[in-house]
Amino acid sequence: MKEYVLDEPLTEGFLKFLENFGTVRFLEQLRKPYFSFEKALFISIKGFVGDSTVEVRYKKDFQDLMGDYVHLLLYYYDQGERGITALKGHEDTLKKKMKIRLDPLPGNGT
Amino acid sequence: MNSEQKDEQNPLIYLNNAATTWPKPDAVLEEVTQCLRQPLREPGRTTGNGSRDYPSAAREALAAFFHAGPAEHFVFCQNATDSLNLLIHGFAKKSRMPFHTITTELEHNSVLRPLTALEKDGITRLTVVPFTDNRVNPATIKKAICEDTRLVVMTHGSNVLGSVQDIRQIAEYLHANDIFFIVDGAQTAGHIPIHLSDIPVGAFVFTGHKALFGIPGIGGFFITEPEAVRITRQGGTGTDSRELTHPFAMPMRFEAGTHNYPGIASLYAGLQFITSTGQEAIERKNRDLTHGFIRELKNIPGVTIYNENPDLPVVSFNITALDNHEAGFILARAYNVILRTGLHCAPLVHERIDGGKGCIRASFSYFTSRDECSAAAQAIREVAESADSQVGSD
Repeated sequence: MKEYVLDEPLTEGFLKFLENFGTVRFLEQLRKPYFSFEKALFISIKGFVGDSTVEVRYKKDFQDLMGDYVHLLLYYYDQGERGITALKGHEDTLKKKMKIRLDPLPGNGT
Repeated sequence: MNSEQKDEQNPLIYLNNAATTWPKPDAVLEEVTQCLRQPLREPGRTTGNGSRDYPSAAREALAAFFHAGPAEHFVFCQNATDSLNLLIHGFAKKSRMPFHTITTELEHNSVLRPLTALEKDGITRLTVVPFTDNRVNPATIKKAICEDTRLVVMTHGSNVLGSVQDIRQIAEYLHANDIFFIVDGAQTAGHIPIHLSDIPVGAFVFTGHKALFGIPGIGGFFITEPEAVRITRQGGTGTDSRELTHPFAMPMRFEAGTHNYPGIASLYAGLQFITSTGQEAIERKNRDLTHGFIRELKNIPGVTIYNENPDLPVVSFNITALDNHEAGFILARAYNVILRTGLHCAPLVHERIDGGKGCIRASFSYFTSRDECSAAAQAIREVAESADSQVGSD
């Protein structure tokens, strides 16, 4: 588990962006509006809209591959629609690496 | 907004006392300070007179508190886990042949892991008996006994379900059958009156940092038959220094190296605090808090309580529409309510009650207020209702 301190507070717009990449849960009626983001095999993120810190958990098997994923999410969020396409491209590359790791036979990942 | 203003609006509600009690009585903090203000009085290790002879004073206090003696049979360790390791491995080392051990599904990993390690090494065969209605039926233990059963290790009070086990009946039967009985009293010591002179246990384990109001790093055990457990630690005792064999006399038989003096001082003061406040008064307050909290939780839709009538101030529950870790995260960060989530180091209990997913645990102490319990219950209500409405709208 890692806690990230962001440059600015999280917004609902960022949650909309996250919906393109995994499951977002948003409980807005609470004292602080809570969200979670879950992407199977990749990562889970928990935090509150309006806060500048998020709690990030990496999946144990691919922890090393996922180290930059949060940074990629934040970087491509700023790029709008173009960012969504670009990040999906990154994800495809990561998935290939994961596949090789899960089944390291010649020919896999190509 | 500075942190002080934030605290005023959102005060900390600490409901994780089954892990470590907080806050500590002022007298405990003062005794620790007092202990460290002067050179330590370490018989055999200093020419000074120093402060109070805390180990001796605390042993006497423990003997009075648990109604057991001699005081020298109270041994100091780091905590309950440390004590259980010393006792379980020491007992196994004493046995020349592999033997059978019985334990229960209610146990903490401080019992399960040392026993599993012995089982993997082929030193013991392990039977784990189930619980029914939050308790282990003494008849289940009796039924599990084999010809080569030499050891039974079980908890006195479940850290998840808050149920106290009938150790007296079990102890009497095991004593009559020459089976060594180690009781893990980590959750009961301080919460309920324990008269060890009336219960023929082989050893009773306690920890200082929970209901005895000490600081972390101090615990120990009372042992009736020291010869049943082989010494696994050797070293300086401040006595018999010419002898290269570790002394057999109690309590140094099981204590090597310099004691945790601040820890022992805190335990001593914690025992005094309980005695002067009155254990009955503490127990009554905890019972009121626990059952008041349960009454409030029972009215919240989507909340499952795992034992609605606990003997100890421990309430385990889940919010149906939310993972326990997520619920704990929200309650801590948005409401400043500190609980414990997950498996509580007792994985077998959870296999039975929640499919191994874990749960949320609220646990109270003498210093918890009714208002804090109500505020925590209201926070849980808000989280449960919000999660439930979101699931409904998905």
